[in-house]
Amino acid sequence: MADESLAQTSNTLFNVAFLTYIAAMVAYFFRLAFTRVSADGAIAGTAAGRRIGLAGTALAVAGLAVHLGSVVARGLAAGRVPWANMYEYSSMLALGAVAVGLVVVQRRFGYGHLVGFILAAAVLSMTTGLLLFTEAGPVVPALNSYWIKIHTSAAMGSSSIFIVGFAATALYLVKDTAERRVAARSGAAFAGSTVGAAQTTPVDARPEGYEADAALDDRDVVASPLAQREALSPVLFPLVPGVVVALFTLLVWRAPGGAIVAGSVAALLGTAAWYAVPFLPPAARLDNLAYRTIAFAFPLWTFAIMAGAIWAEEAWGRYWGWDPKETGSFFTWVLYAAYLHARSTHGWRGRRAAWVAVVAFGALMVTYYAVNLWIVGLHSYAGDI
Amino acid sequence: MTETASPPQAPAPAPPRRPRLPVIPGPLETAALAWRRLRRMSTALLLLFALAAASVVATVIPQEPVTARSVADWRSGAAGPGAPVASVLDALSLFDVFGSPWFLALTVLLFVSLTGCLVPRYRAFARTLRRPPPAGRNLSRLSHHEVLATTLPPGAALDAADAVLARRRFRRRRVGAAGEQLAAERGAWREGGSLVFHTAFYLLLLGAVIGKAFGFTGQITLAEGSAFAETRIAYDAAEPGRYWGLDDHRGFVVALDDFDVSYFPNFTPRDFVSTVTVSEQGQQVRTERIRVNHPLRHDGMTLYQLGFGMAPHLIVRAGEQVLLDERVLLTPQEGTPNLWAGTAKVKFDDLRRQLALDLALVPNAALGADGQPVITADPRPTNPVLVGSLYFGELGLQRPVPAAEFDRGDGPVDTAMLRPGATAELAKGSLTVEFADLGYWSGLQVSHAPGRELLLLGGGLVLVGLLPSLYSYRRRVWVQARAADGGAAVTVAGVALHRKAAFDDEFAAIVAALRAALPSATPPTQER
Ligand code: HEM
Repeated sequence: MADESLAQTSNTLFNVAFLTYIAAMVAYFFRLAFTRVSADGAIAGTAAGRRIGLAGTALAVAGLAVHLGSVVARGLAAGRVPWANMYEYSSMLALGAVAVGLVVVQRRFGYGHLVGFILAAAVLSMTTGLLLFTEAGPVVPALNSYWIKIHTSAAMGSSSIFIVGFAATALYLVKDTAERRVAARSGAAFAGSTVGAAQTTPVDARPEGYEADAALDDRDVVASPLAQREALSPVLFPLVPGVVVALFTLLVWRAPGGAIVAGSVAALLGTAAWYAVPFLPPAARLDNLAYRTIAFAFPLWTFAIMAGAIWAEEAWGRYWGWDPKETGSFFTWVLYAAYLHARSTHGWRGRRAAWVAVVAFGALMVTYYAVNLWIVGLHSYAGDI
Repeated sequence: MTETASPPQAPAPAPPRRPRLPVIPGPLETAALAWRRLRRMSTALLLLFALAAASVVATVIPQEPVTARSVADWRSGAAGPGAPVASVLDALSLFDVFGSPWFLALTVLLFVSLTGCLVPRYRAFARTLRRPPPAGRNLSRLSHHEVLATTLPPGAALDAADAVLARRRFRRRRVGAAGEQLAAERGAWREGGSLVFHTAFYLLLLGAVIGKAFGFTGQITLAEGSAFAETRIAYDAAEPGRYWGLDDHRGFVVALDDFDVSYFPNFTPRDFVSTVTVSEQGQQVRTERIRVNHPLRHDGMTLYQLGFGMAPHLIVRAGEQVLLDERVLLTPQEGTPNLWAGTAKVKFDDLRRQLALDLALVPNAALGADGQPVITADPRPTNPVLVGSLYFGELGLQRPVPAAEFDRGDGPVDTAMLRPGATAELAKGSLTVEFADLGYWSGLQVSHAPGRELLLLGGGLVLVGLLPSLYSYRRRVWVQARAADGGAAVTVAGVALHRKAAFDDEFAAIVAALRAALPSATPPTQER
C-alpha cells in the first residue's frame, strides 16, 4: 500500500506545481497589464506583454505537467485512484481547471488574457487542498467500487469546468456593468450593453439565447475603453470578493488566519478584475463563453449524479437518500438547470441569468466544502461506512 | 416560447359602483388562467428556484429520515437553535422536507407545468418534422453565400451537392419547377432532444413513486451461526412502502455461516465479507458471499453488507441452570476506537430480581501497569479481553427501550475480566460467566426496489436527450445550380438559426466539401 517515497514525491511535485502556477498567474496578470486597447476596442499586446504572456503559458504548461506527475505518484503511492479525499479532490479540481483554461479558454476561444483568473482559482483550490491535507492511504471498502470512480471523475471534471464557467460569468458581470455605465455616460449613442442580447428582439421566433453572438457584429464601441475602468468603483472590487470569501472560510473552517489569507487573495483578484476591465473581451463574448462552458459541464454533472445514485444503490442499498451531500448536488443541479432556462426566458436573459449562474456556483462550493466540513461535522453521517 | 402564447389579459370591466371588488372569475376561467400561468417558462423557473430553496433547507436543517439523532437533539434543544424554534420547524415539516406535503405540492406543480410546456412543444415539433425544408429566395443576398463553377451539368451538380449534405445529416428536398434548387435543413433534434429529456422526468418520477410505494427496506443484525427468516418480525428496523404487504415478504431463510474482515496495515478495513446460506422451505439453495459493493440478489430481494461488530458468545449459569447462552452483539463506542460495548439481559422475568451484564470488549488488549486492559490501535481480535459488570435488582429491563438503557442504580455488584474460553465466578459464586468464544455479527440491509429499471431508463433518456438539446444547432442551406458555359454555376447559401458565431466555420467547411465534390472548372479552359 502507501509507498512512502512515492507519496513524498507526490507532495513535492504538488508544491512545485503550486508555486509554478503562482508564477504563471503573475505572468498572465502582467500580460494583462501590458495589453493595450485601441479606441475601436481591438486588443493588442505590446512586445513585452507578448513575451511575458509566452512565459506565463510556458509556466502554466510546465506546472500542469508537474501537477499531473504529482497526481499519478499519489495514485501509485496509495494504490488506488488519486481522488478519494478532499485534499486529492481539490488538487484534481485545480488540475482540471488549469487544463480547461489552457485548452478551451486560451486555445479554442483565444482569450489567453483570462487564464490568469483561472490559475488564481486553481491556486485557491490547491490552498484549500493544503489545508485539508491527508496522507496517501487506502480507502474504506464502500469507496472501493467501479461506479464511484466514474462518479467522482465525472463530478470533478464538471466541477473544474464550472469553475471556468464561473470565472467567465463573474467577468461578464463586471464587463457588462462597465459597458452599461460607460454607455449611460456617453449618452444614448449605445443602447445598452453589448449583451444587448438581453434586450434586442430575437431574430428567431423562439430565442435560444444565442442572439448574444449576433448582436456582437453590429456592436458599436463608443467611449474609450479605459473609461470602463473609471466607471467602476475601485473600492467595491476588492471588498466584495474579499469579504465573501473570508466569511465563507470563517464559517466552514473556523480558521481566522485562513480567512484573512483567503479573503486577501480574493480581494487581490477583485482588484485584478477591476484593473482588467478594459482588456476583457466584450460582455457578449464572455456571456457566450460562460454559457458554453456551463452547457458543457451540465450533462457531465447530471451523469455524475446518476453514477453516484447507481453506486449508492450498490453500496448502501438505496439509490437516493437525501443525505446532505446528495441534497447539495441536487440543489446545484437544479440551479444550473434554472440558469439554462433563464437564458431562454424573457426578462431573465443576460445579467439575471448570470446571477443565477453565480448562485449555482455558490451552491457547488457549499456542496463541496460546507457539506463536507461543516454540515457533516454538525450532524452524524448516518449510513456512512 | 410559451411566453408569447398568452397576450396580456384585458382587465375585465368592473361594475362602476364598486370598483374595489374584483370580478370573481368562474372556476373554469380560474383553471384556464392557472393553466396558462403554469405553462410559462418564468413559472417553471420559479418552481425550479423553489425546488432549490427546499433543498437548501434540507441541507442546513437535519432531516429525520437521514439523521434522526440530530433531529432529536434539535427537538430537545440539546443542539441547534433551541426547542421553540424546533417546534416551529416541525410545524412546517422542515425536519422532513422531502416527505412534506408542501414538497409534494411543489413536485405536482412542477410536473403540471412540465406537461403544460411539453404538449404544445410536441405539436410544434411534429409540425417541424413534417414540414419540408423551406425554399430559399434571393440566395445571393444572404450573409453566407458562395458561387462555385463546375463542369458538371446542373442536375448532376445538385446530385453531388445532395450527397455532400446527406453526409452532414441535412434533411433535403428539391424545389422549383425543374428541381433546380436543393433546400436542406438540420438540427431539428435540438428540440427533439429537449423533448426527450424533459419527458424522461416522468419516467424518473414514476420510477421513484413505484419504488416508494411498492418497495421495502429493512435492516437486520445477524450473529455468526445464526439465521433469520425474511419476514417482517425478523427486522430490527423496517421501512415498508405503502403497498408492501406482510405477504410480500419472501420467507426464505438466511444463515450467517461466517463473517470475515481484513485490514490494511494502517488498520483501515480492507474488506468485510458475510458468507451466507439461503434456504427455501428447508432446502439449502445457495451459499454466497456478500461484500460491500457486492450485494446478493435473491428472489427479488437484495441483501447488502452494511456494518459489522463483535459478538462474544456468553454462557451465564446459576448453578446448573443456564440463564443465558448466546452471542451478545456489541457495538463500537463513539469516540473510542477499538472499544466495543453492549448489554446482555440475563434474566428479567422476576421484576425485582433482574440480572444484566454490561459488557466492554477490547479486541487486541495490552495490559496496563494496573493490570487493566489497555486499548491498542489494532482492531483485529488477536488478544481480546472482555469485561463484564453485573447488575442485580429492579433494573426495569422489561421496559420496551433499547437494551443498553436500564436502571443502573447503585452500580454493578460485581465485575469480571475474561479471555476467550475462560469462566469467571460472579456475586460470590452464585453465578458463573463463560466467554465461550469471540465471533462477529454482520449488519445487512434487505431491500426490494421496484422501479429501478424505469429510473435507469429515465436517467439514460435524460442524458440522451440533453446532448442534442445543448449541442445541436439548426441550420438551413440551399444549393442552386444554373447552366453556364459547358457546366453549371452553383450557388450555395446558408443561415444559422442558433449559435451564429460558429456558423462561419461550418459554412466554410460545407463550401470546401462541395468544391471537392464538384469537378473543378477553374480555370474552365483547362478542362476542354
Ligand atoms: C423538472 C425540471 C426541469 C429541468 C431539470 C429542466 C431542465 C432543462 C434543461 C437542462 C434545458 C436545456 C437548456 C438548453 O437547451 O439550453 C431545458 C430546456 C427547456 N426547458 Fe426545461 N427543465 C425542467 C422543467 C421545465 C418546465 C416545467 C418547463 C416548462 C415550463 C420547461 C421548459 C423548457 C424549455 C421551453 C426549454 C428549451 C429552452 C431552449 O431550448 O433553449 N422545462 N430544461
